[in-house]
Amino acid sequence: MQKLAAAIQDAAKKLLDDQKVDLVVGFARGSLPLRSTPGFIRKSCDAGKLTWDYSCENNLANYLRKREGKVAVVAKGCDTRAIVALIKENQINRDNLYIIGVPCSGMIDRNKADELLDGKELLEVEDKGDTLVLKGKGFAVEAKLADLCHDTCKTCCYGTPVVYDMLIGEPVPAKAEDNFDDVRAFEAKSPAERKKMLAEDLSKCIRCYACRNACPMCYCPECFVDCSTPVWIEKAPDTADNMLFQSVRVLHLAGRCVDCGACDRACPMGINLRGITRKMVKEVKELFGYEAGVNMEDKPALNEFTADDPQPFLVKE
Amino acid sequence: MIISKSAISGLLDKLIAEYQVYAPVKEGAYSLFKQIKSGSEADFSNKNSKIPPKGILFPQSEKLFSYSVTPEGARVDECVDSAQKVIFGVRPCDAKSLLLLDNVFKNDKYEDPYYLTRRANTILVGMGCNDPAATCFCTSMNTGPFDSTGMDLLLVDTGDNYVVEAVSDKGRELAAKLGLAAAGDADNAAAAKVKEAAEVACQVTTEGLKAKLDGNFYDEIWDRVHEKCLGCGSCTYSCPTCHCFDIVDDAVDCNGCRIRNWDSCMYPLFTLHGSGHNPRTGGKERMRQRVMHKFKYFVDNFNATACVGCGRCIKNCPVNLDIREVLADILGSEARDK
Amino acid sequence: MQRNPYLPLPMKLVKNFTETEDKLIHTFTFEYLSEEDEKSFPYMPGQFAEICVFGKGEAPFGIASSPTEPGHLKFSVAKVGVVSTALHMMEEGTIVGMRGPLGNYYPLEQMKGKNVVIIGGGFAFTTLRSLATYMLKPEHRGDYGNLTVIYGARNPGLLLYKEELAEWDKRSDIDLVCTIDRPVEGWSGRVGFIPNVTKEVSPSSDNAVAIICGPPVMIKFTMPVLEECGFKPEQVIMSLENRMKCGIGMCGRCNVGSKYVCKDGPVFTRAELNQLPNEY
Ligand SMILES: Cc1cc2nc3c(=O)[nH]c(=O)nc-3n(C[C@H](O)[C@H](O)[C@H](O)COP(=O)(O)OP(=O)(O)OC[C@H]3O[C@@H](n4cnc5c(N)ncnc54)[C@H](O)[C@@H]3O)c2cc1C
Ligand code: SF4
Ligand code: SF4
Ligand code: SF4
Ligand code: FES
Repeated sequence: MQKLAAAIQDAAKKLLDDQKVDLVVGFARGSLPLRSTPGFIRKSCDAGKLTWDYSCENNLANYLRKREGKVAVVAKGCDTRAIVALIKENQINRDNLYIIGVPCSGMIDRNKADELLDGKELLEVEDKGDTLVLKGKGFAVEAKLADLCHDTCKTCCYGTPVVYDMLIGEPVPAKAEDNFDDVRAFEAKSPAERKKMLAEDLSKCIRCYACRNACPMCYCPECFVDCSTPVWIEKAPDTADNMLFQSVRVLHLAGRCVDCGACDRACPMGINLRGITRKMVKEVKELFGYEAGVNMEDKPALNEFTADDPQPFLVKE
Repeated sequence: MIISKSAISGLLDKLIAEYQVYAPVKEGAYSLFKQIKSGSEADFSNKNSKIPPKGILFPQSEKLFSYSVTPEGARVDECVDSAQKVIFGVRPCDAKSLLLLDNVFKNDKYEDPYYLTRRANTILVGMGCNDPAATCFCTSMNTGPFDSTGMDLLLVDTGDNYVVEAVSDKGRELAAKLGLAAAGDADNAAAAKVKEAAEVACQVTTEGLKAKLDGNFYDEIWDRVHEKCLGCGSCTYSCPTCHCFDIVDDAVDCNGCRIRNWDSCMYPLFTLHGSGHNPRTGGKERMRQRVMHKFKYFVDNFNATACVGCGRCIKNCPVNLDIREVLADILGSEARDK
Repeated sequence: MQRNPYLPLPMKLVKNFTETEDKLIHTFTFEYLSEEDEKSFPYMPGQFAEICVFGKGEAPFGIASSPTEPGHLKFSVAKVGVVSTALHMMEEGTIVGMRGPLGNYYPLEQMKGKNVVIIGGGFAFTTLRSLATYMLKPEHRGDYGNLTVIYGARNPGLLLYKEELAEWDKRSDIDLVCTIDRPVEGWSGRVGFIPNVTKEVSPSSDNAVAIICGPPVMIKFTMPVLEECGFKPEQVIMSLENRMKCGIGMCGRCNVGSKYVCKDGPVFTRAELNQLPNEY
């Protein structure tokens, strides 16, 4: 990790020194344990602020849309998927972007650490390679990295950046294809059970819109939730409206969601948003064989029409 | 006075018979203030609740009145909630925040009957913080782990018991009603010791902050501090002192109601004019407003900082934008030559 | 406790009048339902009210009528969004809600004995009409010196209150200068942008106050002209229009620095605004 961080710093320094870019967007040390924070580096002397570890969970593609000037970004697999999708949607000009790819074998879910500690406050983390020791006042709990990993990262098959101008570190070994077990388990439930599950979870929503704003693919100038003519959805965090909010959000992300889990990680209330987004990801993959942002070549599923597109939603004679 | 911990649940049940009782309830790894139906639901093991209890007095969404319109006039029915409430287990920062909000909901010209009625009918049973969180910086914001300002009673956790201090007349009355036993000298000494031992490790320098903000509206610092901000509302909605709201109608034909909902200065629509002009065009202006409002405008108007150091925004921010660092950056920043 | 400031007073729309040729501005006249209601609504020129269209919501509008015109309230409203559109489509006889009067008003006391220059552009002439009407009332007229009104619109069809302007034009106790941006057939008044016309009129700043309302560009370019004429920031009065909801200084939406436009304004002197950040 330290080595990777040093390599990222060197790369950033060089890019800035050579005036190849005006800005490097990467990760800097955060103010909490297991927390790094997006960092914006403009001077090569500040490159030392860049870090790399298990806590670089934010999707930095979010900061790249419609950006002026030449920019470099430190990007893990899911960030690059979002970058690809955004390039295809003309939100990012590839010519002005330098991608410092960093293979990623998973980021840590602070909520899982919190649950493990049952509300006790985490103050310090000791990195022991495959395990982490979570320490606080009067306790030290050792946990396997794999157990603390975000669920998103567990199912992710694109830990190695899908595009890059420079790769730092070794590509991560290929994983078995995502079989959407989580979604299948959800689908196996009765409609009533599914509705109950969603309602229970979304009753916690406070409509902070962190999910929407953290999503690299949610960038409509006017989100339907904000529209006043007509009012599609009430502003009050009523469970039914919260469900509508997420349903429409997911529909707007059909064929565009890159399954990065940024929405899920951003939610302060710990709502399982992936459960919803991944249902759509699976649907699109099964129907159209398309995964968003995995390469520069494929045409986005909803941007293309072929005569043999499946149309299960049409009423058959 | 003193209550044994094992008696708390029963005591809450007693209160529930007479009041709407709100207490922290565990929701997975965090806790939230909720109305409880049984004393056993309460759980005081977490430090700060995820979302502050201000919503009990100023709900995220509340009906102001309902109406029905006829050709001759309109019937308007106020929905002021005057139920008697007890908030049990309020932390000092949150109690302090209500004192700050009092300034907002009653100004030189107007009174907000919704907040003020609930406020007048609410008893605050506070709970000191033996072990403040690493994100707490209350002592830098004019309060502290055992500050009882704004509370009616203060509970001090001494291990097996809570030593109870009466802070206000309302608190004394409640204690008398509950027939709380007197605390012995040893208990009081134990409470004093706990108070002594509680340490807020995190200090935030505020010296010179107001003076700096008085003159730095146009400084370059604002171009940078907001840069990673996503513009969501998790900081404002988790802040015990934020009070911005929106007012909307919900109606079918001639019958409807007027509703007020929390709103956030971090949202672009907040200040968008009817003409399409927006005086706060971007994230920079909105972040500046949030900081200025808390640390300058509120001070100008009410001689107090609109932050109580609860640390919630620090924990809830999806990109770890830490208000403590923002303040330090501002203090350390150079003035722009104009 | 005081009266609940969120509760609207029901009023009846008695006239929905298409004010401008482009039909985008209508003037609405509302009548009180009772004398008591009228007593509960004592207002002054420069104040505003939240008009509530039941089922749609509320929006703030400057009161265009003057307290010297009893029995009703008048507003001129541009069609821009939910509430304004609902108003435009409203049938006469419909009941609306009125919340107010809100905000401060033009400093009529301090203006006593002074010459008054009123400068208005576009449809921001509403509260200025209220002010001029108030001052022109015989029992008030003597309190003030010369009254000059400079009022401009893009074309004659966009001028508000045309009949009244014609009447004012005939009076000798008010100096009315109307202007349009570009010459049109049939227009005998001035042609030119307000800053230029103000320069031509060159009002004296001696013992005078200038009150100016209009679109931001107009204000921006008229300010230096007033300065040239010798108006000090203390002598220039403006009315702000920040987005508002509560109108009572609580919802936190309309602030400019530590001032709430709804409660501490909307009327400010230029000198006061110079102390505040330019967030309006
Ligand atoms: C003190 C004061 C006095 C005023 N006096 C007058 C007056 O005399 N006459 C007058 O005509 N006006 C006046 N105004 C302006 C008036 O208040 C606004 O035009 C009015 O609030 C518009 O309300 P609305 O419901 O019609 O528009 P809204 O529905 O609130 O919309 C207004 C505009 O904002 C945009 N908008 C609204 N919501 C959204 C959204 N969610 N996303 C994107 N865009 C959105 C709309 O597209 C529209 O252009 C005054 C304002 C103030 C503060
Ligand atoms: S919806 Fe969620 S998982 Fe999908 S792209 Fe957006 S943030 Fe990532
Ligand atoms: S981030 Fe979570 S709480 Fe916030 S709006 Fe999204 S789902 Fe709701
Ligand atoms: S600004 Fe942050 S730390 Fe301060 S009171 Fe609000 S949520 Fe707590
Ligand atoms: S409109 Fe609510 S504070 Fe001014």
